[in-house]
Amino acid sequence: MSTQIVNIQPLSQPVDLGVEPATFSPQVEAEIDRHLAKYPVIRSAILPLMFIVQRERGYLDPPGVLYLANRLKLRVTDIWEVATFYSMIQTQPVGKYHIQICKTLSCKIRGAGKITEYCSQKLGIKVGETTADGRFTLSEVECLGSCGTAPMFQLNFDYHEDLTPEKIDQILDKLP
Amino acid sequence: MSTELIKVTINGKDFEVPKGARLIDVCRDKGFDIPSFCYYSDLALQASCRMCLVRIEKMPKLQTSCTITCTDGMIVTTQSEEIEKAQRGMTEFLLANHPLDCPVCDRGGECELQEMTFDWGGLEERFTEKKNYYAERYLSPMVANDPQRCILCKRCTRVCDEWMGEEAIEAGGRGAHTVIGTYLGWLDCSQCGNCIEVCPTGTLLDATYRHQTRPWELAQTITTCNFCSDGCQMSLGSRGGEVRRSVARDRYVNGINGEFLCVKGRFGHPFINHDARIRTPMIRYKKGGKLIPATWDEAIRHVAERLDAVAEEHGRNSVGVVGSPRLTNEALHVLHKFTTELVGTENYTTTDAFSLKTFFQHLGGSLATHRDIRYAKTIVLIGGDPSELQPLTGKQIRQAVRNGGATLVLVNSVPIRLREQAKVFLHIRPKSEDAIALALFDVAADSLAAQKAGVEENAVAAARQAIADSTGDVVVMFGRELTDAAQAIVAQLPQKFAVQERRVLFHPLPLFNNSFGAHDMGMMDAPTSAREILNAAGDSIRALYVAGSFLPEHLEGHEGALSKLDFLVVQELFETETTAAADVLLPAASYAEQDGTFTNNDGLVQRVRQSIPALHQSKPDWVIISQLAKELGMDFGYELSASAVFREISEKVPAYSGMRYPLLKDETNPIQAKYEVVGPSNMSAELATVRECVEGLPNNGDKVMVTPEVGTELFKIGTLTDKVGQFHLLASGNPRPETTAISPLYQITSVKSVAETV
Amino acid sequence: MHIKAIGCEPLQLRRVHLERSRTLDVYRRNGGYEAIKKVLDGMSPDDVINEVKKSSLRGRGGAGFPTGMKWSFVPKDSPKPKYVVCNADESEPGTFKDRYLMERDPHMLIEGMLIAGYALNSKTGYIYTRGEYKYLIDIMDVALEEARAAGLVGNNILGTNFSCEIHTHTGAGAYICGEETALLSSLEGLRGHPRMKPPFPAVSGLYAAPTVVNNVETLTAVPDIIKMGGEAYQKLGTEKSGGTKLWSVSGHVNSPGVYELPMGYDDMEKFIMVDCGGMLNGKKLKAVIPGGSSVYIMRADQIIGKDVRMDYEGLVAAGSSVGSGGFIVMDETVDIFESTKNLTEFYKHESCGWCTPCREGTDWLVKVFKRIENGGGRIEDAQLMLDLCDNIEGKSFCPLGDAASWPIQSAIKRFPEDFKKRLLATD
Ligand SMILES: Cc1cc2nc3c(=O)[nH]c(=O)nc-3n(C[C@H](O)[C@H](O)[C@H](O)COP(=O)(O)O)c2cc1C
Ligand code: SF4
Ligand code: FES
Repeated sequence: MSTQIVNIQPLSQPVDLGVEPATFSPQVEAEIDRHLAKYPVIRSAILPLMFIVQRERGYLDPPGVLYLANRLKLRVTDIWEVATFYSMIQTQPVGKYHIQICKTLSCKIRGAGKITEYCSQKLGIKVGETTADGRFTLSEVECLGSCGTAPMFQLNFDYHEDLTPEKIDQILDKLP
Repeated sequence: MSTELIKVTINGKDFEVPKGARLIDVCRDKGFDIPSFCYYSDLALQASCRMCLVRIEKMPKLQTSCTITCTDGMIVTTQSEEIEKAQRGMTEFLLANHPLDCPVCDRGGECELQEMTFDWGGLEERFTEKKNYYAERYLSPMVANDPQRCILCKRCTRVCDEWMGEEAIEAGGRGAHTVIGTYLGWLDCSQCGNCIEVCPTGTLLDATYRHQTRPWELAQTITTCNFCSDGCQMSLGSRGGEVRRSVARDRYVNGINGEFLCVKGRFGHPFINHDARIRTPMIRYKKGGKLIPATWDEAIRHVAERLDAVAEEHGRNSVGVVGSPRLTNEALHVLHKFTTELVGTENYTTTDAFSLKTFFQHLGGSLATHRDIRYAKTIVLIGGDPSELQPLTGKQIRQAVRNGGATLVLVNSVPIRLREQAKVFLHIRPKSEDAIALALFDVAADSLAAQKAGVEENAVAAARQAIADSTGDVVVMFGRELTDAAQAIVAQLPQKFAVQERRVLFHPLPLFNNSFGAHDMGMMDAPTSAREILNAAGDSIRALYVAGSFLPEHLEGHEGALSKLDFLVVQELFETETTAAADVLLPAASYAEQDGTFTNNDGLVQRVRQSIPALHQSKPDWVIISQLAKELGMDFGYELSASAVFREISEKVPAYSGMRYPLLKDETNPIQAKYEVVGPSNMSAELATVRECVEGLPNNGDKVMVTPEVGTELFKIGTLTDKVGQFHLLASGNPRPETTAISPLYQITSVKSVAETV
Repeated sequence: MHIKAIGCEPLQLRRVHLERSRTLDVYRRNGGYEAIKKVLDGMSPDDVINEVKKSSLRGRGGAGFPTGMKWSFVPKDSPKPKYVVCNADESEPGTFKDRYLMERDPHMLIEGMLIAGYALNSKTGYIYTRGEYKYLIDIMDVALEEARAAGLVGNNILGTNFSCEIHTHTGAGAYICGEETALLSSLEGLRGHPRMKPPFPAVSGLYAAPTVVNNVETLTAVPDIIKMGGEAYQKLGTEKSGGTKLWSVSGHVNSPGVYELPMGYDDMEKFIMVDCGGMLNGKKLKAVIPGGSSVYIMRADQIIGKDVRMDYEGLVAAGSSVGSGGFIVMDETVDIFESTKNLTEFYKHESCGWCTPCREGTDWLVKVFKRIENGGGRIEDAQLMLDLCDNIEGKSFCPLGDAASWPIQSAIKRFPEDFKKRLLATD
């Protein structure tokens, strides 16, 4: 990391991970270009691009990491250091549906624990696990800014608030 | 830092300090001890360990003295109950998740955490919870890692980033789960091991030294590295007659390189005690016969007789003498004396492929030291690739730019890694370095140079402008790409760029640890080159005395030359292509087994010190030659004392006059040779030569577009690195082994075959 | 969820209940983009800064730094570009006001950023939104597109020679990136570690250029300040705390939600018991954390019958602070030991790991909490925890360390019984 040292022209370095970098459709490439165009320093686009790679490939797998390194003119380790800092960036595979239950104080005192228990039972997995079919991952996360509508979870990017077991049934049962 | 003085009060005492001084440095300088982990004066500030807390009047909280710039009238307290409690608290925090099994840790005994805990920590251990656990692992053949011991001072990531420009090792994860490492846990870098050196704890460790000895069982010997011309100071740790490791830790040594070493300096030492060392003198009594062990007396007598006979029969000039630029000044001096005063031949040279003769003849300014480079504001680098060939110089350039905002003008036919730091990069065609040198001297050659080098018409003007726009001294560096005449021109660049308050300093980039010494001792005075000697072998040259070996590039195209000689004597550590044809082989001692001096590319004359007794029957090169001289009837009179040889050098070589070993003993204040600086000279002859050369260059041709991978030169297997298994792994592309829990060396067993198959 | 103003005319919440409130059309028909017009019609950048100074607007992100003063620190003569960065990282537990401002009235934020951009001579603005609020980024992107099409964002705004582009940016799950310098590290594509101050962002921030970082609510207050004048805005509140403030209310009340109160609203007890619908299920009030998790926890008896004034000074006097205005109400069923453990886990999870005391201290504290929870409490643990907090507080690199220690310190001191019973259990 080079804090405060800007203006150093980054040097892309060939790295041999034994895999080819990921490739994306022209539409996705165009989306990536739009993000890159926002910043005077390309590295700034690292988080937006990570979300795109993650959306397209499920998580930051080695081809995805290599793609990011090439695209951002960084070393793979630079991708790694950033990816592992942010809790929303997945460096391991996660289920198709990622249920993230807020466990912080406001939710906790309004029954987050029961929600976790219910989901855990319903899906047959513990927190931190993924169902065998790869559909669901269950996580507990810190405050998601829904304290006034507690308890809640985020299913991938969607907020589901004022949860009750019935509501959870409705939400999960109608997932494709 | 300015020279203006301001007043600060520390613990009730008043001091005058330079304006802009850093508080932690001032306190320490004035004798007030301040603990710290993350502070490292040659790296960007971090302020994360929170050990260096002090109280400053009018500031609300305790302040980190590493981040405070002294201001006039500042009142500081470094010791109080409050501060001591905080420091005890920080130490306690650092120890919380740190294993307390110092007796099994390689760093035990030289661990800063251990020392800080003794000095600043509490007595009581209040942390009774379970510690976070991480498994030990190997990050590379050179670097072992025990993540649990990490206190996250991030000196390692900063040296990797700021010194090396490699950003190979970084922090991953967050909070208490932060770990230092790399993507997929394999370290792909130049393996300098500086991260190991600066690590205050046992987190990053020398993988080649794991579990060998406790540091206090090692005898530490301060000496000079025997690989490249930068001349790093290092401390060899030896035990039981064996060199176990090489470090630059500031607790042992504090030379021009600080704690920096490169992969060779740090990990190249195992050749010293390698089994393949030549053990006894050997004589091949008959051409085509075998080398048969002999006593020193027999061997010396045999050599003396045969050399005498050849000289008798074919004349003095039929005996050639060749010395390696790896030898000490003492050896090269004695060899030169032997050659000129005893043998009396004109056919002598060194096995350096880069002669600095014309450069020194025209030297128009002083030599830059590595310190000058670090703080330079303008650097011009023509040819060369210091990151690979003179790594300390590479680091200094990088830091001059990154930490000091220097302007780097880079002229190179290869897009070397330092181009990352260059303000102006003239990406020229191969072999057109002379053209740019010419144009830098002579504006009239701008368009000729542009045409031949394949750069924009105004490129040289842009380079000149960048130099003019920057301030401070101009450091000019050049690699072996420049021809002799072009070197002369470059040496006279002060004519063009030196103005008042602005010197032009030089930093040539030869390849060997004592390339400078070989020049200074006169071994380059004769007009002969190594290739010419090989050309004449078997014809006008009938006998050859070689201290060291020819380089592969010399032997290329001269494969049979050595066996055509009537008589070949070689002094060596190991068998080489050169020794294969030797009629007498004499076992030489390595630099770790003798006293002496090397002169680095700053012109600094630095000490080589004996770390272990000479192995087997080997002897220092200069001793062997003196004994031979004695046998031939001339007693040099050194009485086995290297310092006597050096005294003679200081009397003979004007640049070394007045130097004595005692004056050279402090590696922190190295002494620079006083090379004669010539004033502005008429360069028309040299200019004409270079212009003719340049005009003969083609007007087109391809450029090298690929940046060489890290290690292209550093990992090349030479006679010495060939003896280190780990280098073979690096040369084979540093493959990631199946598991990182065990040293890759033990997993990839047939190292040599790995090297051969790739 | 209730979103409404109490004790004042809704200012920030004026449009939130309008249909299609997030469209440019509705915004414009309800007074939107009049302030930027007024600014471009003849105010100088200094005029704008002066109005903001007069308004006594204090940063709503948590630190409460006077906004006008912050803006005046930006060096006018710097040749570097200048940046306005909106801090929409909103990750403080109990805080969710920015979310509704952006969801319901995105153009108000855009207008506020434009005015800030004008005042600071900045041509580029970034809205750093926490990654979890992806839907808000989409809303902001649509709003920005609308504004761009209408000549309100981009080049030559409203036909003048003032140009300012605004971009959205996403975080990715890191509370520390709400701290302004960590936010800038993150925006530069680095790990979200805080940076040393000085230099302050106003002098050397994003890409080492002068940068102002402001909270969403701070920036959305600016259009009204311009329209009504700084003085009038200040008068809505008190002398030192001007204007109105949004409070995010959660926990055991009947009507959690976002409430806009004038600064200096006179009674915290009334606010809880009446305005927020009173205690859920009629239970008794036990504790309140009034300013997001990073402030001192208050006992019911510090509130009931105490006429606690709700502004910066009033809350400090009552033994806590405004922070981010995240108001967490806890009834008698809550075990303060458990709630404190919960928050400590939060801080441990969110500590960036840069500095020793915060990284190791929070890790240690969580371990102590867990041990006590599992029945391993020792009588000296309370003292140990207080001492560890003392070793973190004031020694950490950034305020997160302080933030982690305050809830524990105040909880142990103000609710000793909830701790003692666990520590004695093993004796
Ligand atoms: C740990 C920590 C977290 C913070 N999180 C936020 C946040 O989520 N949103 C915010 O606006 N400010 C947050 N802040 C405050 C910011 O550092 C900064 O003071 C603020 O963005 C300035 O804007 P303002 O003056 O408009 O309040 C946080 C501060 C700290 C120390
Ligand atoms: S207090 Fe230290 S470890 Fe904690 S968030 Fe701030 S810098 Fe990071
Ligand atoms: S040395 Fe100052 S904080 Fe580490």
